[in-house]
Amino acid sequence: MPLPQWALALADSAGKSGEHQAVLVTVISLPELDERALLVEAQAGNRAAFEELVRRYDRDVLRLALNLMKRPEDARDVYQEAFLKVYRNLHRFRFECSFYTWLYRIVTNVCLDHLRRRQARPEDQAPEVLVNRNEEGTRDFFEVQREHRPTLDPERSLIGKEIRLRLAKAMDRLSPRERVVFEMKHYQGLKLRAIGDALGTTEETVKNSLFRATRKLRQELGELR
Amino acid sequence: MSAARKMHCDEVAPLLVFLACDEVTADERAGIESHLAKCAECRTQLAEVSDFHHGLTAVPQAADELDRTGTLLAQCRSELSESLDEMSAPPVEQESWRPFSFIRRWMALRPGWSAAGLLAAGAILGVQLLQWLPAGDTGIKGTQVSVSAAPKLTDDQLARMAVSEINFAPGSDGAPGTLQVQLRAEQPVTLSGNLDDSDMRRVLTYVVRNSDRFDAGVRLDCLDALRAKISDSEIRDALLDAARHDKNPAVRMKALESLREVASEEDVRDAVLESLEEDGNPGVRVEAINLLVRSLEMEAPTPPAPDTNSDEPMVGRTAPAVIANSDPSVQRVVHALEQLRHSDPNHYVRLRSAAALRQIGPAEVQ
Repeated sequence: MPLPQWALALADSAGKSGEHQAVLVTVISLPELDERALLVEAQAGNRAAFEELVRRYDRDVLRLALNLMKRPEDARDVYQEAFLKVYRNLHRFRFECSFYTWLYRIVTNVCLDHLRRRQARPEDQAPEVLVNRNEEGTRDFFEVQREHRPTLDPERSLIGKEIRLRLAKAMDRLSPRERVVFEMKHYQGLKLRAIGDALGTTEETVKNSLFRATRKLRQELGELR
Repeated sequence: MSAARKMHCDEVAPLLVFLACDEVTADERAGIESHLAKCAECRTQLAEVSDFHHGLTAVPQAADELDRTGTLLAQCRSELSESLDEMSAPPVEQESWRPFSFIRRWMALRPGWSAAGLLAAGAILGVQLLQWLPAGDTGIKGTQVSVSAAPKLTDDQLARMAVSEINFAPGSDGAPGTLQVQLRAEQPVTLSGNLDDSDMRRVLTYVVRNSDRFDAGVRLDCLDALRAKISDSEIRDALLDAARHDKNPAVRMKALESLREVASEEDVRDAVLESLEEDGNPGVRVEAINLLVRSLEMEAPTPPAPDTNSDEPMVGRTAPAVIANSDPSVQRVVHALEQLRHSDPNHYVRLRSAAALRQIGPAEVQ
């Protein structure tokens, strides 16, 4: 695939040498550009640079959305809404924090909005996949997973199945913010400070949210072995 | 480690959750570890928290199940790309933005409807503009417009107009003269024509009927103009109205004088008698007497008198033999003259009444 003109120009300006020497053009592809250069390009309206930024982070964004929303269609909405917000507001990004933090601030806000809306609609709350519906004849997700991943340890799978079902039920008792904090800490592996930055709050507040979330879950789940 | 702060169980317990997920400061860690080395109960609690923490992280996540193959991610990327395409379209459109582009697009697709719509819009616009043009600023404000055809003056226009000037151009070879009336209205108008013109008649009779709106000079001019067509009932009614009700005696006299040619008509005679009995101005009453004598003369057979100048006073002239006429209207005239001869406060009126009675018949003079 040919490189866009801007990438060649960027490389050209960096690789110009003396008048009588052969011009050495160093071609830098988009994935090789650092985040700042990509952001500058994207802010200047370079669509390819923006899409490269999206590709760097969208897997994590979708994962967060799926874990929080539990439904593919909701996660897809979150993904779209969040990245379109990023695109529309990219010119406001002033490099005062990392792009990752700025992006997650937008994503978590969108997730919180969706979770709050869902809370306000009781008929829209039940996650489709993770609820135990064995008694209704629906196949459990873990059984499906076992079919596709036969190498999994059966004992671990059984424990996991039980825990997961209880966890899904327990998670419903958390507030949207507690849920987001718990998810970002345990499944995204973010530090509390980063979570605070993303949520636009202090590390202490995030700590309190995490503590409350853990206590509620432990009450619901008891000991996990 | 020796500098580690000494902590108690109630301090350590809330921190165990954060210790399990590596979110404690170095000082806290040192204090907790120092305490754990001595406290079996807190060690047990930490083990439970750690188990719980590890158990949670070991649980398969929703994302693992819901997008195992990455199809959802690809779908999301594709949808985002489409949305971005749509979003980047408007700026291009904005650059080439043209007014009414939607209407133009609609018209381009429907030529028949567009043509009909344009025709209708043009007709409506034309009609509306024509209504506004006379009142609007046409760039020739204040200039006179000569109206030779019959403009249909409305009552409203008449009520608001003022007459600034009336000019007579005498007609040649007995033809009716040409009148020119300059009106001051919202826009100055000059009416040109003669009394055959209905608008001309309307304007002049309107003036003589509305003594409170027009000055006496204009009213006299109008009477002069109107007497040329006294046979017209509209004009005669206007003159009778002026003779009875105009506030200026000169105008009333002029109106009576203008009725001379039709003095023998019943309605004219009634009006003259009314003036004779009720008008407060002696000059008007004398003019009424002259007119009555004239009307009676017109009814009687023409005598072989050499002097036929009707404008001259009839005092001392040979009286026509009309007194014998038993017509009630004639008798009313005689009676009115008798009253004036005896009781009119004005000496000249009394003399003129007596002379008139002598003119119309020796028997009544007695």
